[in-house]
Amino acid sequence: MLRYLAGRLLTAVPTLIIIATLAFGLLHAAPGGPFDAAKRLPPAIERSIEAQYHLNEPLWRQYLRYMDQLAHGNFGPSYTYRDTTVNQLIRSGLPVDATIGTCALFAALSIGSLFGLLAALKRDTAWDFVPMLLASLGIALPAFVVGPLLILIFAVQLHWLPSGDWRGDSVRYLVLPVTALALPYIAYVARMVRGSALEVLSSPYIRTARAKGLPDRTVILRHALKPILTPVVSFIGPAFAGVLTGSIIIEDVFGLPGIGRYFVTGAIDRDYTLVVGITVLYGALIIICNLLADLCYAWLDPRVRLRS
Amino acid sequence: MTPSIRAWLWRALALLTAAMLCACSNRTPSVSIPTAAVGTRLAAMQVVNRGLGAMPRTLDPSLSTDVPGQEVIDDLFEGLTTLDAAGKIVPGVARSWQTSPDGKTWVFHLRPDARWSNGDPVTAQDFVYAWRREVDPKTAAQYAEALSPIVNALAIATGKAPVASLGATAIDPLTLQVNLNAPTPYFLAVLADNYFQPLNPAAIERYGESWTRPGHMISDGPFELEGMVIGDRITLVKNPYYWDAAHVHLSRVVYYPLNNESAQLDRYLAGNLQFTDGFPASQYHWLKRHLGSQVMTGPYFGTVMLAFNVTEPPFAHNRDLRLALSMAIDRKILAEKLGQGLPRPAYQLIPPLAGYDPPVPAWARWSAAQRHAEARRLYAAAGYSAAHPLHIELDYPTSPSERDFFDALAAMWRINLGADVEPYNEEFRVLQQDEALHKTKFFWDAWIGDFPDPFTFLQLFETNFQQNNGGYSNPAFDALIERATRQTDLAARYRYFEKAEALLNADAPYIAISFYSTTNLVKPYLKGVEQNIEGRNLSRYMYILRHTGD
Repeated sequence: MLRYLAGRLLTAVPTLIIIATLAFGLLHAAPGGPFDAAKRLPPAIERSIEAQYHLNEPLWRQYLRYMDQLAHGNFGPSYTYRDTTVNQLIRSGLPVDATIGTCALFAALSIGSLFGLLAALKRDTAWDFVPMLLASLGIALPAFVVGPLLILIFAVQLHWLPSGDWRGDSVRYLVLPVTALALPYIAYVARMVRGSALEVLSSPYIRTARAKGLPDRTVILRHALKPILTPVVSFIGPAFAGVLTGSIIIEDVFGLPGIGRYFVTGAIDRDYTLVVGITVLYGALIIICNLLADLCYAWLDPRVRLRS
Repeated sequence: MTPSIRAWLWRALALLTAAMLCACSNRTPSVSIPTAAVGTRLAAMQVVNRGLGAMPRTLDPSLSTDVPGQEVIDDLFEGLTTLDAAGKIVPGVARSWQTSPDGKTWVFHLRPDARWSNGDPVTAQDFVYAWRREVDPKTAAQYAEALSPIVNALAIATGKAPVASLGATAIDPLTLQVNLNAPTPYFLAVLADNYFQPLNPAAIERYGESWTRPGHMISDGPFELEGMVIGDRITLVKNPYYWDAAHVHLSRVVYYPLNNESAQLDRYLAGNLQFTDGFPASQYHWLKRHLGSQVMTGPYFGTVMLAFNVTEPPFAHNRDLRLALSMAIDRKILAEKLGQGLPRPAYQLIPPLAGYDPPVPAWARWSAAQRHAEARRLYAAAGYSAAHPLHIELDYPTSPSERDFFDALAAMWRINLGADVEPYNEEFRVLQQDEALHKTKFFWDAWIGDFPDPFTFLQLFETNFQQNNGGYSNPAFDALIERATRQTDLAARYRYFEKAEALLNADAPYIAISFYSTTNLVKPYLKGVEQNIEGRNLSRYMYILRHTGD
C-alpha cells in the first residue's frame, strides 16, 4: 500500500512538470503580453517594464527561472494584480471554492444517491419518473440560468436569502450558490446510481441473497450498496478537483471571491504566472483526487488490487 | 402524496415557471420593485454599499490603470486638486496656486490642515516623492507617461535622465513648484488623477510592495482602507484626519467587485447595493420603466468609432470610399434600436465639452435619403459598383462589442451602398497586435478621454503618436495640434483644435459612431450623486436620508 502510494506520487512529478511546461509554452505563444493595455505605452516605457519582470529575456531563461520558482512552491507575482502574488490569490480564493465545492459534492452524493436508489427500487413508478425528469432538467439547465433564477426567487422576491456575497461564517450565504452548483451534480449522480443499481440488483448474487430469504434492507445495504457506488467514485474524483478550483459561472453570478474567474480573466489578460499557477494547482488536485478515488475503489470492490 | 403536498408542489411548479418566464423575457413587470419612502433628514446609519465593475488590480495610485481602481482610489487619496460631485475641478490638498505668464511654471500652496490618515501633515515633499516614484523605471508604472507634461518626466521614465531631475520641487513643506514643458491648460484636471496623488514615504519604505494592504496603507483622502478581500469586497472607513472631515457624512463605504452587470442589478434589486457603477444596457428600457429616476445616465467622455488603415489599399488615398462608408451609416437607428437610446449618435471625434465648439460635418444634418444618395455617389466615384463591390473585413474585439451591432452595420452598407463588409471577431489582444502592426485594414476602436481636453482625442491622429493605429499622417493637422499646445489662452487653444478636428472630418480617416454614456443605479435615499463626463462619483459627497423600505 505504502509502496503503491509512493509510486503514484513519484509519477505525479513528471506529469506536473509537463503540465507546467505546456501551459507556459501555450500562454507565451498567444499574441500580446501582460502589459498591453487598451492605451499603448511608449516603447521605451514598455521595455523598462518588461525588464522589471524579466520578460525581455530569452524564453528558455524565463522558463528556467519560472520552474525554479515553482520547485520552491512560489508561483511568482501576478502581472495583472500588481501588488499581489499568485500564492496570495490562491490562498484567499481556494477556501471559498473548497467550501462551496465540498458542500455541493456532499449534497450531490447524498441526495443524488438517495434518489437514484429510490428510482431503481421503485422502478416505473412516480418515484422513478419524477426524480429522473428533474434530473434531466438539472443536467440540461446551465448554472447561468439556475443561478439568476434562484436569486430572483429567493433573494429579490421572497427576501429569504442573500443575493450573493461571501461570509465564510454564515450558512445563509452558502445555500444559493451551493444549490446552483450542486443541482447538475445531484442529477448526474442520481442517474448514474439508478443505472448502476438496476444492473447490480439484477445480478445473480443479489438474486441468491434474496433467495436465501435475506430482508431487503440487508440485501441492499450489505451486499448491493458498495458495487452500486463504484461508478460514482470514478466520477466524483475528477469532479472534486473541478469544483475545488472554482466555477467561473457560480462565482460570477453570486459574486464569490473564488479562483475560478482567474482562469478566464488571467488568460485574457495574459497573466502568465497566474494561469500557469492555477493550471499546475488544478493538475495536482486531479492527481490527488484520482489517487483517492482509486483507494476508494479498492475499498469498495475487493477484486481491485493496488499495484504500483 | 397527500392533497396538501400536491397543492404545494403545484404552487412551487407555478412559481418556478413564472420565474423562468421572467428570466427568459428580460424581466417582466411581475418582479417586485423596491420602493422607499424617503424623508428629508439624515439617516442614523451612513453606510453605502457600492457595486464595482471588477476587482481593482491594485490600490497603488502610481500603478493603478483601471477604472474600478480609480473609483476606490478617488475615495482614499486626494491630489492637489479634486473633483466636486458634478465632476468640476476644485482645490484639494492645494489651497491656491499661481502660474507664470508663459504658463510653464506653477506654484501650489498646500493647506496646512491636510493630514495623512495617521495624523501626519501632507507636505510638498510627499508629492515630489510620489511623482518621482511614478516615473522611476524601477517602479515599472504603466502610465508613467501621464506625467509627461512635467519637465524631464518622459526622459526619466525611459531611463535617459536621473529621477532627481523631475521638474517638481518642494520649496518648503507647504509650497510646491512644478515646471512644465509647455503651457498645459488641462493640468489642473490631471492633478486630480491617481498618478498625481501624494504618497506617504514612510508607509512605502516600511512595507514595500505590500504597503497597499489594510493596516499598512496610509492615505490622505476622505476615507481610509479598513479591509480588503480580493475578489470580494473593499471596506473603507471615514478618515478622521481628513481636512474636510466635518462635511463627510458617510462613516463607511463598502465596494463589491462584481464583473457581471446582471449580478450588480440583482444585488441592487435585493437591496444589498445602494449604488452600481453600471447596469446591463440591454435592460435600459425595462429599468427606466420600473426604477424611474433611480436609473441615472449622462454623457461620458468617450467615443466609439471605426478606424481605417489609411496606409494600404483600399483605404489609402481613397477619401471618397471612407466618407461613403461613414455617410451610409444611420447612427440614430444604431443608438435607438440597438442601444435602447443609451449611446448618443456621434458625427465627430470629441464628445461634448464645455467651451469647445465641435466642427460637426454638414451632412450630419441631412435627411437619410440625402445622405445615402451622396454616399452612393462617393462610392461610385471611388470606383465601386454593383458589379464591382467593395469586399472588406471589419475586425472587432470579442468584448465589449456585440455581434448584432456589427451585423446591423454590415446590413446598412449592403443596403445603402451594395458593399460587402464581413464583421470578424478577434480576441482583444490579438486585434490590438494586428492594429499595432497595421495588419488590419478596417477595425473597431474606442477611446475614453484621459482628461477633459480635446487633445486627449486628437493626439490619436498625430503622425508620431504610438496609438495612431490607422497610420494617418497630415502635416497640416500636426502643425495645428502643435500650435494649439503652445497657446496659453484656453479659447485660442480650442480654436486651433477645432480647426484640426475639421481637417480630420474632411479627411475621414475614421468613422465616429456614438458617444458613451455613464450608467448608474442609485437608491432614492442616497443623495450627493451627480452624473459627470468623467464618470467619477466620489463617496465624499454622498449621504443617506432617512427612509423606510428600500
